[in-house]
Amino acid sequence: MMLAIDVGNTHTVFGLYDGATLRHHWRLKTTRGRTADEYGVLLNDLLSGVGRPPIRGIAVSSVVPPLTQVVDALCRTYLGHAPLLVGPGVRTGMPILYDNPQQVGSDRIVNAVAAYERTHAATIVVDFGTATKLEYVTEKGEYIGGVIAPGMGIAGDALFERAAKLYRVDLVKPKQVVGRNTVHAIQSGLIYGYVALVDGLVRRMQKETHAPARVLATGGFAPLLAPESETIEETDEFLTLDGLRLIYERNSH
Amino acid sequence: MSNGTFLAIDVSNTQTVLGVYAGTTLQHHWRLQTDIERTADEYGVLVRSLLASVGQPRIRGIAVSSSVPPMTHVIDELCRTYVGVTPLFVGPGVRTGMPILYDKPQEVSADRIVNAIAAYDRTHSATIVVDFSTATIFDYVSERGEYVGGVIAPGLGIASDALFDRAAKLYRVELVKPKHVIGRNTVHAIQSGLIYGYVSLVDGLVTRIQKENKVKARVIATGGFAPLLAPESETIDEVDEFLTLDGLRLIYERNSDE
Repeated sequence: MMLAIDVGNTHTVFGLYDGATLRHHWRLKTTRGRTADEYGVLLNDLLSGVGRPPIRGIAVSSVVPPLTQVVDALCRTYLGHAPLLVGPGVRTGMPILYDNPQQVGSDRIVNAVAAYERTHAATIVVDFGTATKLEYVTEKGEYIGGVIAPGMGIAGDALFERAAKLYRVDLVKPKQVVGRNTVHAIQSGLIYGYVALVDGLVRRMQKETHAPARVLATGGFAPLLAPESETIEETDEFLTLDGLRLIYERNSH
Repeated sequence: MSNGTFLAIDVSNTQTVLGVYAGTTLQHHWRLQTDIERTADEYGVLVRSLLASVGQPRIRGIAVSSSVPPMTHVIDELCRTYVGVTPLFVGPGVRTGMPILYDKPQEVSADRIVNAIAAYDRTHSATIVVDFSTATIFDYVSERGEYVGGVIAPGLGIASDALFDRAAKLYRVELVKPKHVIGRNTVHAIQSGLIYGYVSLVDGLVTRIQKENKVKARVIATGGFAPLLAPESETIDEVDEFLTLDGLRLIYERNSDE
């Protein structure tokens, strides 16, 4: 079995693969300051819950530098393997045409690799996470770059913290775009607003590259937002884990 | 009343804007930080000295829109003590000339009604106002001049602050339009997300509002980020930095003749 670990700014997701099949997955809060031993106890317990399968390899993507070391120590101490940390020097099979390839967050490359593996065509990946990130991969499978916008969750939090008269609302789609009360007005702004942000960026990217790229979405808010989108064709909650699996395979032969 | 000088005060979450009108002409305007801990005396000294700097016009009336409840009482005291005028606070009971079709009319914040009135006064047709401030607020006015409701989204400024505070590897960038939508470095990627992302949010919401109401409403933008974003927008027809002040002037007039 292979273990994929995706350390994001809000959540850390673990996925256990048997060949190309995702058998189990878990989501933990990303807490800066939590130690390898604390994560070790959690992970051991989760793995025991599924019969303690033998793990022959681990791949990690981390966008939280202080946790990269913690996860590295966790893997060595509790799983007996040095993990493959996606970053400069790791073979991804994808040319990176960014100005400075070392600067691209590993999650962005991992998503691009997973998406292109499915489409083998020009592709835009939308990741609805802490940030909303869009990546562009050319028809030839080159990573070109992308767009980074504030995520819906953190932008919504900011609205409630900073605007005196507004309050937290349930994240559900309102019946109408024009809200006739404050709750509906905020729900509309967050949900239809973020869908519009993504659809508009996707269209601008397609126009700029003169290519009708395929559009795949992932990330925590994808199930809520993708159904309203006019541009997203397919949602895969586990796209990043799948990309980690692919990169692991490309580095182990 | 046209021979008097009128003061409009727009208190929003980040800034408080003051405008001095002679008749319908905005003659002076100032922008102060909104700080709920600052006292009426502190604001009083500022306002008195700003008014003195333009020849101490005699203020005949004041109208205020406040979306920050703790500031309301500070502004009231400031107007009485330092300007000698009891201000008109836009809120329930004030005559606006616009039917409010919100579920609970007293729940709509004053700035939204004020913007709607100023915009409809110009268009006399179905209108969408986009206010780019702490929040990005959309208000829809029907062809007959009824305030129907709107949309509230996080503002560009607070959303970008949240991005830099919460995403470990990202850092603050200058708010300028990048050359390309697809950024080939992190600075350009963030600039694209903030600028083209927010323009897309606005254009997409405007389009959805127009579709829902089956009308090609006029679109007027105001607020601090309007000059940056409106030129990229495909839906905004007009920008007016002082729309809220103008709405306050109109409401003041509607409450003072007769």
